[in-house]
Amino acid sequence: MARTVGIDLGTTFSLVAAMQGGDPVIIPTSEGERLLPSVVAVSKTGERLVGWLAKRQGVTNPENTIYSIKRLMGRKFKDSTVQFDLKRLPYKITEAPNGDCRVVMGGKEYSPPEISAMILQKLKTDAEAYLGEKVTDAVITVPAYFNDSQRQATKDAGAIAGLNVIRIINEPTASSLAYGLDKKKEAIVAVYDLGGGTFDISVLEMGEGTFQVKSTSGDTHLGGDDFDQRITDWLCDEFKKQSGIDLRQDRMALQRVRDAAEKAKRELSTLQQTEISLPYITADASGPKHMNIMLSRPKMEQLVMELVDKSIGPCRQALQDAGLTPAQISEVLLVGGQTRTPLVQAKVAEFFAQEPKKTVNPDEAVALGAAIQGGVLKGEVREVLLLDVTPLTLGIETLGGVATSLIPRNTTIPTSKSQVFSTAADSQPSVEVHVIQGERPMAGDNKTLGRFVLDGILPAPRGMPQIEVAFDIDANGILSVSAKDKGTGREQKITITASSGLSKDEVEKMTRDAEAHAADDTKKKEEIEARNTADNLIYQAEKVMREHGDKVPADLKQQIEGKIAAVRSAMQGQDTAYIRRTVQDLTETMQKIGASVYQQQPGAPPPGGQAPPGTGAGGEGPGKGKPDEGTVEGEFREV
Amino acid sequence: MEEDRQETTAESGAPDAQRYMDNWRRAEADFENFKKRVELDRAESARFASTAIILNILPVLDDLDRAFKSLPEKLAHLTWTDGMRLIHRKLQATLEAQGVTEIKALGEDFDPSIHEAVGQAAGEDGKIVEEAQRGYRLHGRVIRPAFVIVGNGSPPEKNETEPRTRSDDAGG
Repeated sequence: MARTVGIDLGTTFSLVAAMQGGDPVIIPTSEGERLLPSVVAVSKTGERLVGWLAKRQGVTNPENTIYSIKRLMGRKFKDSTVQFDLKRLPYKITEAPNGDCRVVMGGKEYSPPEISAMILQKLKTDAEAYLGEKVTDAVITVPAYFNDSQRQATKDAGAIAGLNVIRIINEPTASSLAYGLDKKKEAIVAVYDLGGGTFDISVLEMGEGTFQVKSTSGDTHLGGDDFDQRITDWLCDEFKKQSGIDLRQDRMALQRVRDAAEKAKRELSTLQQTEISLPYITADASGPKHMNIMLSRPKMEQLVMELVDKSIGPCRQALQDAGLTPAQISEVLLVGGQTRTPLVQAKVAEFFAQEPKKTVNPDEAVALGAAIQGGVLKGEVREVLLLDVTPLTLGIETLGGVATSLIPRNTTIPTSKSQVFSTAADSQPSVEVHVIQGERPMAGDNKTLGRFVLDGILPAPRGMPQIEVAFDIDANGILSVSAKDKGTGREQKITITASSGLSKDEVEKMTRDAEAHAADDTKKKEEIEARNTADNLIYQAEKVMREHGDKVPADLKQQIEGKIAAVRSAMQGQDTAYIRRTVQDLTETMQKIGASVYQQQPGAPPPGGQAPPGTGAGGEGPGKGKPDEGTVEGEFREV
Repeated sequence: MEEDRQETTAESGAPDAQRYMDNWRRAEADFENFKKRVELDRAESARFASTAIILNILPVLDDLDRAFKSLPEKLAHLTWTDGMRLIHRKLQATLEAQGVTEIKALGEDFDPSIHEAVGQAAGEDGKIVEEAQRGYRLHGRVIRPAFVIVGNGSPPEKNETEPRTRSDDAGG
């Protein structure tokens, strides 16, 4: 089946995304990158290059390397913006007979849609390689301020690239979709999009799943690159103050400073300060020179403050044009990589008097939203099969009243899960399976869904019988729980219908309770665990004494019996720490059994040496007991 | 009433069943494809999981390279310097063991799939005349292209970049 993709055809970078398993995902380029530079070139050997390759050779071939083509899409040569860009772009722009722009690359004239088509084609090819399927249909995004001819030009670009453009949507609309705002009833959304080279602010009104653009504003020459430039300039100035050398004169050094500035900017989104260390950045007669400059977040904010302030004017303008006040905006979305800078987030929050949303990767929101739109249009987002999830954790009660979970909350149903349990006492004839629902660690605090008894377990030491407990929830939410003795094959089961479940309010209350009691519950659970460990250790100790007591010296035997009694009495009380102390004490004393038993063997090897063959059962018992003790010890030391 | 309802569902049931069947098959197919994709992605991310950390270590190697390139003659024979050389080589070997390999640059034809041009200088047209920063591959994939200066076809005169190129030649 042919696939639909969503494409963010950007000024500096483009991205492609597709729906996979119901969610939009970014498709990496064949070079393994998530972004594709919006650059096209014809190399000196006449080869056409797109994306990273075109960008990397740009310096050697500036007149045949076309970037920022989006600035020319659907525009007339005489447009003032074209005349402005004309002076800044190194390639040749000419006027077509119909007044449109043409660019010259490799001695041939191309229309802007033809250049954009080369970028789209590369995205299409990479997407096909990744998905393993033909890509025929696409949703492509454009800025909200694009007029009809700019939209038509974008559509033409898609057609030239062999794509059936099923819809052109506005970038802020795509962002809103990526944020899942279409699921809301009504909202007024402000999308603040600060990318690498352009800034857009759009105000949208949303109702019944449709978005209407109320106003747009922005600055076509403001973005992250300007931030980098400010930091680079400051670093060069600082270095000049220190060493008297102007790095701006050394192209190689400047490149390193620029890269370091960009890296520092990114680091300062999370750190309070960063060190810019560029050893051997240059050299003079006295020898090599190093750059080592600290940049704090406040200093960086001071450097870029003016740029951030520049974005607020258009925000004010957009609100005014929409006839709205900041208080009437219900959602503010941050899009574009530069919105990761905390100062930008703070300024936006201050202006709109609310926290902006920033949960979706700001570089990817537009492409992801376009993919969602594509999925909706092609019916890939199916309505028939509504997959449900279990609202609360399901499990059973185990030793000491602990709730052991089998199916965690938010698991998509239908699902099934099984786990093997055992008995807690020697010769235990039956087990009770107590099915519970809830988030609390103690069974008693959760809701009981049902209980049943599996009997007929053959006499065996504790821990020996294998009881397999299986949970199964079908698509209608009906839970079946079965318990099977793997030894005898005896089985019991219970079916709990959805009606005995919980209402939405109850679920919320139980979840809230679990959060509120988290600390208490953990303590209680720890106490139970300490008790279970103690109980298990007493069992082990008594077993060892029963089986090998005759080999243990009398004084040690007495010691151990005393310590067992101490653990028992500690278990009567509530002091978890005391229980643990007595358990540790007993564990350590028990280890002496091994030592003394092995020493009794004729010609016993030094500790750590290999036991001679034929030590028989005498040597085996404590040896077998030891790992168990070790486990116990490890367990409570960890805690 | 009950019977009535049952009849209607039975009548319209066939197309419904067809649609459900179709959706179910699609869902199954989607899931199969998704599983394959996830498996590929998992293998891929395991192989390239170290990319980010290696990219952060490479600048340290670059700095060491630069340090040795500008090593003063009078320090070159100290045993302390030999120690530093061993550390340098150890770092290279550690990265090699992770699957990192160097990209050839100096004297090669410029190739944008592995080289990034950062400037042009006198020299044979399209040939790399200087390596500004070494490039690396991880398991064959370019993780950082080599930053290079490409010849512009003008004869190599005695201009200011000439002596630097020479010393870089010797160092690299």
